[in-house]
Amino acid sequence: MRKIITVFRWEISKLFSSWKRTVALFLLPAILLMAALNVFPLLINYMSTGSISKKPVTVVAAPETFRKYVDETVDARVFSYDYKTYEEFAEMIKDKQAFHKQLRKGMLVCYFYAGDIKRDFDDEVRSYYNEISAENSGAVSNAVIYVGFDANSLTTQARAEQFKEGVLRGYQDSLIDTLGGNYSVVGSSLFETDTFNPVTDFEDYRTTANTAASRVVPGVLMIMMYYCVYSLVSDMFASERDRGFMAKLIMTPVSRRKIYAGKILAINVIVTCSTIVTMLLLFFSSWINRSNDAMSLLPFGMMLTPSELLIILGCIPITILLMTAVCISTVFSLKRMQDITVNLQLPLIYFLGDFFLQMFRGSRPVTLEYFIPLHNSLELIAETFMAQNKAWHVIFIYLLNLGLALLIFRVTFRKEELQ
Amino acid sequence: MIRLVDVHKSYTKERETIKGVSFEVHEGQIFGLLGPNGAGKTTLMQMIATLMKPTSGKIEIDGLSGDKDLLEIHRKIGFLTNEIKLDPMSTPNNLFNFFAELYDIPEKELKDRRDESFARFGITPFADKKINELSTGMKQKISIAISLIHNPPVVIFDEPTNGLDILTSKQVTDYLKELKEKGHAIILSTHIFSVAEELCDEIAILVDGKIAAQGTVGEIIKQADVESFEKAFFKIYVENHIE
Repeated sequence: MRKIITVFRWEISKLFSSWKRTVALFLLPAILLMAALNVFPLLINYMSTGSISKKPVTVVAAPETFRKYVDETVDARVFSYDYKTYEEFAEMIKDKQAFHKQLRKGMLVCYFYAGDIKRDFDDEVRSYYNEISAENSGAVSNAVIYVGFDANSLTTQARAEQFKEGVLRGYQDSLIDTLGGNYSVVGSSLFETDTFNPVTDFEDYRTTANTAASRVVPGVLMIMMYYCVYSLVSDMFASERDRGFMAKLIMTPVSRRKIYAGKILAINVIVTCSTIVTMLLLFFSSWINRSNDAMSLLPFGMMLTPSELLIILGCIPITILLMTAVCISTVFSLKRMQDITVNLQLPLIYFLGDFFLQMFRGSRPVTLEYFIPLHNSLELIAETFMAQNKAWHVIFIYLLNLGLALLIFRVTFRKEELQ
Repeated sequence: MIRLVDVHKSYTKERETIKGVSFEVHEGQIFGLLGPNGAGKTTLMQMIATLMKPTSGKIEIDGLSGDKDLLEIHRKIGFLTNEIKLDPMSTPNNLFNFFAELYDIPEKELKDRRDESFARFGITPFADKKINELSTGMKQKISIAISLIHNPPVVIFDEPTNGLDILTSKQVTDYLKELKEKGHAIILSTHIFSVAEELCDEIAILVDGKIAAQGTVGEIIKQADVESFEKAFFKIYVENHIE
């Protein structure tokens, strides 16, 4: 065991002997992935509107209650607002071409109307509530909120939906409190506790964010893990064998298995740390995503319970061990460095494919998928984010991947020793 | 000390790289392996160093066989070849400490050995520099220092003066003489006739994986019936090489 630790310490110290190596393994991929995830909504926005920045919502004839709601509600502040009067808006749409151009660039219009442009929206709603609280069953309201957008743009459409669901629905619900008068006493107090309950708010965010994260995070982690494992196996096994340094190590009175075990341990510890750093950055990325764009890959509020976190933290080193076994067996079965490099890169294509499959699939995995090594790790992480774990999935995937990794190591090293 | 009996090695079924090589090297003796590129010198040395297994035949180091006593043999062998490059980002000090730990060299001895070895080869001023910042000669000297860190009774050097300047070559050859005087059994492969003539007690000329001639320099010259060792080598090569 002492020799394994000696080799392990040597490999770790090698990594930290150059800050470039350290950054390349620990931070660079994580930061690049995080940047890519954050650039994605901007890119989609640019592709559909021709502009990176998002247009504010043009609010026409905003009533006092809406302005107040926007000021007081966190969800509503996801959007920025450009307030216009009816006259200003009429002036704006005079040039139809320019107006259409603005719509194509992603402009949303929120138009408050109370049946007559001279009538105040709040007054119309207030009188409606007064009438129904006076038990006038034939009460009718002319208050309407129109949302205008370019229906040809998927992004703008999604943004409009987000505005309607995230802002207008809440605003409409709030009207009963602000303008309902006597009626509000009867009709609105049922869910008030939940509205101000931070745990409920947190759970709402978490559900949305974790569902989105289950599509993105597992694939990102798998790519990240494989990239690191591939780089380290390339350096610690392929390059050292190519340079002859491995022969120098094998010539010492330490058995090959101990030397390899030290290296494998070092790879596992380094990549596990690196993956945890990536995961932390992904959480960080979610928690700073205050704009909560409709196209966000990691919406605000991603969070795991301690038991979910433990499942993922257990899954990571086992997955890394299996990846290491696959890479080492590739290195030992090939001689030329170019062949090794190409063959080690091939699985990256597989993981990239798996990432996109996970992102766009609409169904839950079929049972057979839990038998596919490495893919099952991705599914386990995805399930954990969705809080849909089953104990047998966790145990079975852990044991299958661990067993397979040990088997590959055994076969590879035995074959290598015979040579 | 070193004993090879009818050693064969084939990488493929069609081609045999080493064809029945046998020789013995004793304590305090330098045994030279001479041959053109591709003759099988490196393969033979790697087999003696246990990095490769012979297809058939027997290799013994101090009565120990690689099949049974591999790790014990490693304690007795110091192997140096140009094919082994040190980790470019490490420093001589780190490398020395690392290998000392692998060879179980006690902490007390380590400092003395390092100081002595580094001082002998002039490594001390570069002890904390990265390997990739050092000259070829310095790298070779560090390789020698690390290969012999455990003071092995058997030393196998594959072309140790290759690519070195005259001064560094002289340092290396002087060191080999000193090791011989101390009783180490040394196998040396080289392309340089003067080095072979100056250092080797016995030489084997390897052609196409077979020993074409073996003996002292004088014996080989006599066997080839020419006036110099260089001429003897070429004559033996032409007579034994299969096109």
